[in-house]
Amino acid sequence: MPHGMDHVLSDLRVLDFTRALAGPSCTRMMAEMGADVIKVESAPNGDMVRGISIYQNGRSLYLIQQNLGKKSLCVNIRDPRAMEILKELIAQMDVVVENFKPGVIAQMGLGYEDLKKIKPDIILCSISALGQKGPLSSKPGYDYIAQAYSGVTSMIGDPDTTPYIPGVGMGDVSTGVHAALAVVSALRYRDRTGEGQHLDIGLLDVYYHYHEVNVHQYSGSNGKINPVRAGRHLGYVCPAGVFRTKDGSVVIMAFMQHWKDLCAAMDKPELIEHERYSNDTLRLENRDEVVKIIEDWLLETFPDTESAVAQMEKFGVPVAPVLSVAETVAHPHLRARGTVRTIKDPLAGEFDIPGMPLRFSRFPEDLPLQAPTLGQHNEEIVTSYLKRSPEELQKLREAGVLVEKNS
Amino acid sequence: MVTQGSQHVLSGLRVLDFTRALAGPTCSRMLAEMGADVIKVESAPKGDLSRNASVFRNERSLFYVQHNRGKKSLCVNLRDPRGMALVTELIQHVDVVVENFKPGVMANMGLSYALLKELKPDIILCSISALGQTGPLAHKPGYDYIAQAYAGVTSMIGEEDDAPYIPLVGMGDVSTGVHGALAVLAALRHRDKTGRGQHLDVALLDVYHHYHEVNVHTPRATEGAIKPTRVGRHMTYACPAGVFRGNGGHLVIMAVFHHWPDLCKAMERPELTDDSRYSTDQARLKRRDEVVSLIEDWLQTFPDVSSAVSHLEKFSVPVAPVLSVAETLDHPHLRQRGTVRTINDPIHGDLDVPGFPLKFSEFPEELPLHAPTLGQHNEEVLTSYLGRSVEEVEQLREAGVLVEENR
Repeated sequence: MPHGMDHVLSDLRVLDFTRALAGPSCTRMMAEMGADVIKVESAPNGDMVRGISIYQNGRSLYLIQQNLGKKSLCVNIRDPRAMEILKELIAQMDVVVENFKPGVIAQMGLGYEDLKKIKPDIILCSISALGQKGPLSSKPGYDYIAQAYSGVTSMIGDPDTTPYIPGVGMGDVSTGVHAALAVVSALRYRDRTGEGQHLDIGLLDVYYHYHEVNVHQYSGSNGKINPVRAGRHLGYVCPAGVFRTKDGSVVIMAFMQHWKDLCAAMDKPELIEHERYSNDTLRLENRDEVVKIIEDWLLETFPDTESAVAQMEKFGVPVAPVLSVAETVAHPHLRARGTVRTIKDPLAGEFDIPGMPLRFSRFPEDLPLQAPTLGQHNEEIVTSYLKRSPEELQKLREAGVLVEKNS
Repeated sequence: MVTQGSQHVLSGLRVLDFTRALAGPTCSRMLAEMGADVIKVESAPKGDLSRNASVFRNERSLFYVQHNRGKKSLCVNLRDPRGMALVTELIQHVDVVVENFKPGVMANMGLSYALLKELKPDIILCSISALGQTGPLAHKPGYDYIAQAYAGVTSMIGEEDDAPYIPLVGMGDVSTGVHGALAVLAALRHRDKTGRGQHLDVALLDVYHHYHEVNVHTPRATEGAIKPTRVGRHMTYACPAGVFRGNGGHLVIMAVFHHWPDLCKAMERPELTDDSRYSTDQARLKRRDEVVSLIEDWLQTFPDVSSAVSHLEKFSVPVAPVLSVAETLDHPHLRQRGTVRTINDPIHGDLDVPGFPLKFSEFPEELPLHAPTLGQHNEEVLTSYLGRSVEEVEQLREAGVLVEENR
């Protein structure tokens, strides 16, 4: 029986009904940690992301990035023979992951209660935008919808105008990681007690959980503090935020004990104990002035961002250039750590994707994973997991129950 | 005799927690919320610096309460050899050590992974940092927004021709804590099967970069034709998708792909469905300004955001109001799911904080956790974990090796 590769989760078996981004991030994280993941794709087209983003040789890079290391089983879910195959597979699994709209998996006859009948200690992880329960759970959900309901969108931009959304799928990807944590925790519990369970992970909850101060400040001040977006700078220490340079911008975090370092870097020691700037409270009160002093200094002194960063680093000021995505891909630190990595797809060839964000000393190398073509593992799964004969396999292919496509 | 964590998925797990501020404490708090027994080592005399941060009530920092619920506080003088001896002894009783000092500091304290292994051969050490334990930037002082800038995420927020914005939400820190917890759990599973511990390196930079769902794979794959950058309030690869101005507030509308006809119906503009200027996402992206102004003009026909949302929902258009943080607190869905929860702090009283983002069917109720006062569990930890007598504890108190304070 083919198992996942040697890593922290090798021997773990996952049946993966996920599509798009949040769900596939969850199962891909598990595959990157060695789990054996079978991705069930609905015939004839499979995961809808096989049809989006950039293509190389007819292959979606989006699909590749989030489906490394999975086996593809492409079946016609509306055919009872396919259902039979899926149920037989579930009996061999530790975990089932899905991110349909709440209720859909139960309508398919694969709700948690149905799964338990097939495998009493199964762990079912359901991922959704707004959760399995609650008045909004039936609504169609996307990343930014959950972000808007969480109050996070309201914290990005200038207070007097429309907020911005980050052009990064952080809600989806991070929710996948949260779900993986819930699964691994539930597995530990299962191993000790023999009990499985149903996990409910929503983007809304994940986004909301990011509020490190906003919720308790509003509540703890009885509404006196009303958190709203406030531009490019933090609301509770100063200076801390985004500053303009001649050719770009930098993030400077020179609050508390770092203020004196910034004053030294600016060669303005008189500002350290200045009556308007000597502590964070005063600097917050005079924030526009503080920002102007720093930005004027940056614009007058430095030909570019890089020289400004180098000067501040000399004085121990926490600082970073605001890198474009293109700059991150070539950055020596990100390359050295594998924060960005180059992968080679058998069809699409070489390209860059973000690295696996967890690093294990026992397994310093990434596993050599590939994203499957549609139905690539139909034969392997049906013959080696389910012990069907090559003739039976062929019949299922001919009947359109199993579908394969080289893309 | 040893006190165990409460009954939940991780009961029985023992964690020694050297973390301060936000990213590290989130990791150990996630473990505590799942029932682990977490001993927070706080450096005497002041403890975690976040005991002095954010909003206070009864001299109690709400920041500290939110991020340290369910932990035991051991406040000990780490510069006193007797204090270090206690910590060293405790390591032999725990499964996991978590820390978020600047890289190298643990080793300087005599608590490197190699030394921890001598104390407990299968120990799991989780090191959380801004820029990672390795690579050319590893030694730099790091904060959430520094890592965000280096990850290229900041560059994706705001208008192309102006300095970018930062989200005023601690999403990098909190999410990295969750990633740390996942790495710990996965490593524990490996330890349970093989008897081997390991050192985990989890960094905000890697976590932020990992959020790029399309940005990293597009530049090289298009040979530089696509350079991902911030583009305001709307997505770049589907349309309409983003933040729209309504009357008295804002909405997120995601009327992409198959949702476009629904939006046309809602707007009573059926002729736009198949109009070749608007019939596909590609066509709409080319005329995005036109599409946005068409929708925003129509939104002005509603007296407020909530009536526009209800109307769009009737036609199944994915939509959400952009809620302020204040509005999230009494939203029925967020309350019903426990996305937001009210906790009772023994000193501070009632306050709202974000809910635990993972929902387990075996444990539908959250654990009744409190944040400890400084050194609250000194006596318990020393007597029940280390078998010291009450007299010995008293001596250590008098010598200033142990510190306690009711805040």
